[in-house]
Amino acid sequence: MYNEVYTKSKIRLSYRNVMKWANSLPKNTLIKKKTEAEDLFRKIGITFSVYNNYDASERLLPFDLFPRVITNNEWGKISKGVIQRSLAINAFLHDIYHSGEIMKTKIIPRHLIYGNPAYEIKMVGFKVPNNIYSPIIGTDIIRTNENKFLILEDNCRTPSGVSYMIENREIMMRMFPELFQTMKIEPVENYPNHLLDTLAKLKPKNCSDKPNIVILTPGPLNSAYYEHSFLANMMGIELVQGSDLYVEKNITYMKTTRGKEKVDIIYRRIDDHYIDPITFDNNSLIGVPGLFDSYKSGNINICSAPGSGIADDKAIYTFLPEIIKFYLSEDPILENVKTYKCYDSKDRSYVLSNLKNLVVKEVHGSGGHGMLIGNDASKQKLDLFKRKIKSNPSNFIAQPILSLSSVPIFSKNSLSPRHVDLRPYCLISNKKITLVSGALTRVALKENSLVVNSSQGGGVKDTWILAE
Amino acid sequence: MLSKTAENLYWAARYIERADSIARLLEVAYRIHLIPNATTSYNNEWDSILQTLRIKEEYLEKNKVIKKEKIEFFLLFDLENQSSIFNCINRARENAKMVRTAITLEVWDAINITYHDLETYSKKKYNSKDLPEIIDLVKKQVNLIRGTILNTQLVNDSYDFLSLGTHFERADFTARIIDVKYFILLPNSELIGKDYDNFQWSLLLRAVSSFRGFKWAYGNSDIGYYKIIDFLILNMMCPRSLFYSIEKIDHHLKRLKKFYKKKSKAEELANTLHANFNKLTVNNILDSGLHEFLERFIIDLSEIYGQLESKYFLGAEK
Repeated sequence: MYNEVYTKSKIRLSYRNVMKWANSLPKNTLIKKKTEAEDLFRKIGITFSVYNNYDASERLLPFDLFPRVITNNEWGKISKGVIQRSLAINAFLHDIYHSGEIMKTKIIPRHLIYGNPAYEIKMVGFKVPNNIYSPIIGTDIIRTNENKFLILEDNCRTPSGVSYMIENREIMMRMFPELFQTMKIEPVENYPNHLLDTLAKLKPKNCSDKPNIVILTPGPLNSAYYEHSFLANMMGIELVQGSDLYVEKNITYMKTTRGKEKVDIIYRRIDDHYIDPITFDNNSLIGVPGLFDSYKSGNINICSAPGSGIADDKAIYTFLPEIIKFYLSEDPILENVKTYKCYDSKDRSYVLSNLKNLVVKEVHGSGGHGMLIGNDASKQKLDLFKRKIKSNPSNFIAQPILSLSSVPIFSKNSLSPRHVDLRPYCLISNKKITLVSGALTRVALKENSLVVNSSQGGGVKDTWILAE
Repeated sequence: MLSKTAENLYWAARYIERADSIARLLEVAYRIHLIPNATTSYNNEWDSILQTLRIKEEYLEKNKVIKKEKIEFFLLFDLENQSSIFNCINRARENAKMVRTAITLEVWDAINITYHDLETYSKKKYNSKDLPEIIDLVKKQVNLIRGTILNTQLVNDSYDFLSLGTHFERADFTARIIDVKYFILLPNSELIGKDYDNFQWSLLLRAVSSFRGFKWAYGNSDIGYYKIIDFLILNMMCPRSLFYSIEKIDHHLKRLKKFYKKKSKAEELANTLHANFNKLTVNNILDSGLHEFLERFIIDLSEIYGQLESKYFLGAEK
């Protein structure tokens, strides 16, 4: 297991101050600060809701006070790789909804695109503003040794967690101001401004000079509602639900105390098929009837564009290195995790006979659900997955069980290493790309666990990108 | 501002005021309970509480008998009772949560903590001994919430909608409690005006937390129904009087009219009602019948609300 704090059993320079601080903290101070931090989170209301849990529907995301440190050098490589990937993803999305050049070259099998449930046929031939489909991309990155960062997953629809990146820092600065004086840490608080700038550049065809931008949320029961209201607050824009909007003659309005107001850009935090009950899911109560027509008439922009989700599909993920080469004529700066495609007969037979050493994921799953971790699974579960893979091979991919790097957490008695991943948030409005020097670090709080998802016992850490 | 935001602000404030009112009703009942040989008044009191809140039937359906612990629990924590204090605070919080962009962190914090404190109590098995403590908590927290609104909110349209919520609830509540007491305390119309039960009237004053206020306003004289009607309906100095509430409602509707530079029917109606109060005397009210007067007032109030709702909350105006 690679512990990020050490190199050849010596504390790395970047962690020297933090380790000194962590080891000198008296135990009671730590407990006090921990409670203080939790109180702050609760007070501010930074909680996430848990579905189907009407009793205690709000939980705190566990926050560990030991920060994760990334050097300027490391960040340089990560950011270049993330930006490259984000550009390629948008070029790919534009292509598959237009002439489909990449399919013509047989790099990607047609059925993986046209047969994909995330492919949105209604978007074919439609020109989205600036050709940007996915302006906010959260890239999940894991580290396997001192020099190796790998991409585990792309999130092109509505990546969440960025509010934690900002609030974690806020809390750390309040708790331990002295630490920030000894180290030069890149700020993250400017993210909402950049997000607003990015959105403002994605004006629809018919739009006044100063676009009216809103965030569309499914409502307070959504697990990320706090984040939606946080971002709206920080950007100074309205947080709306479907019921606050209506479409009249293909123009989208919001209902205000002054009467109706035209809306130009929607940063939507609801899934494709819920945005418009007329065009998509008729049962959706959280969408806006007629929104899609308003969009296609060029009266409003929806970010991310409907149909963007196909780019973060796990079946497409396996082709990302080829996608980067095809559109940018560059080699990928950050590699994928080695991935076996179960629809490929050679890969499949490898997967079936090595299941114990693999992670199997459902192609359209997310949040750590529908996942098998081979070395940790019972015989029954292994058999179940074998059957599942055989009956529907194209629904699964498999990856080697990688040892994610670890960073210490403050556990009961001492510092104790736990596995982490990293999610930076890339903003793309045209050729201009903004990547705030910061990211969300998710941490598996259970010892030896590799699952960092908040819905399955994961927590978060403040992440410091060093300025030099 | 989004129409929905305005509506959420209004209801957040309204539910907070309601929680406060219920807490004070409970306090009065608790007080009677401490007085020996007051069983009859005690039962009457519960009855009038349930009537004022319009939940008597709901209660009886669920609990069959009027029993102290059961009523207390019903009014404090019962989730099936729409008007339990915990439900009111929960709804106030849900409304506030929807408008985190329109309220300050301090206001949110005060509401949020109130909810979490009550939640802690609600999880324990209810013990009647805790009642005074819980009542105190609610009263204290409501004052804190109101203080944070006063001290930290911008005095803009958000503030107007919050204030409207408070004063609509208060006007409605005061009108209903006088009406209920009027019937219960003076069931025989021949007895009206006989000052026969000072004790009961004093309880009414306590229920609207105006007992001391009354003494200040009228000197330490007997509490007669005439003075009480004057105090709770017509006295501008009494923050629970109908006159005071309607003046506030009129005031905030006028501010909104100015702020949005648009006429509103709600403001016109409130203005008329307010103007009528200016000329009103206790004798006028008694001549037309107190009950009829209050009934009319509640209808007028709901008409103003209807106009407020369609103008600002529904976004129907295109």
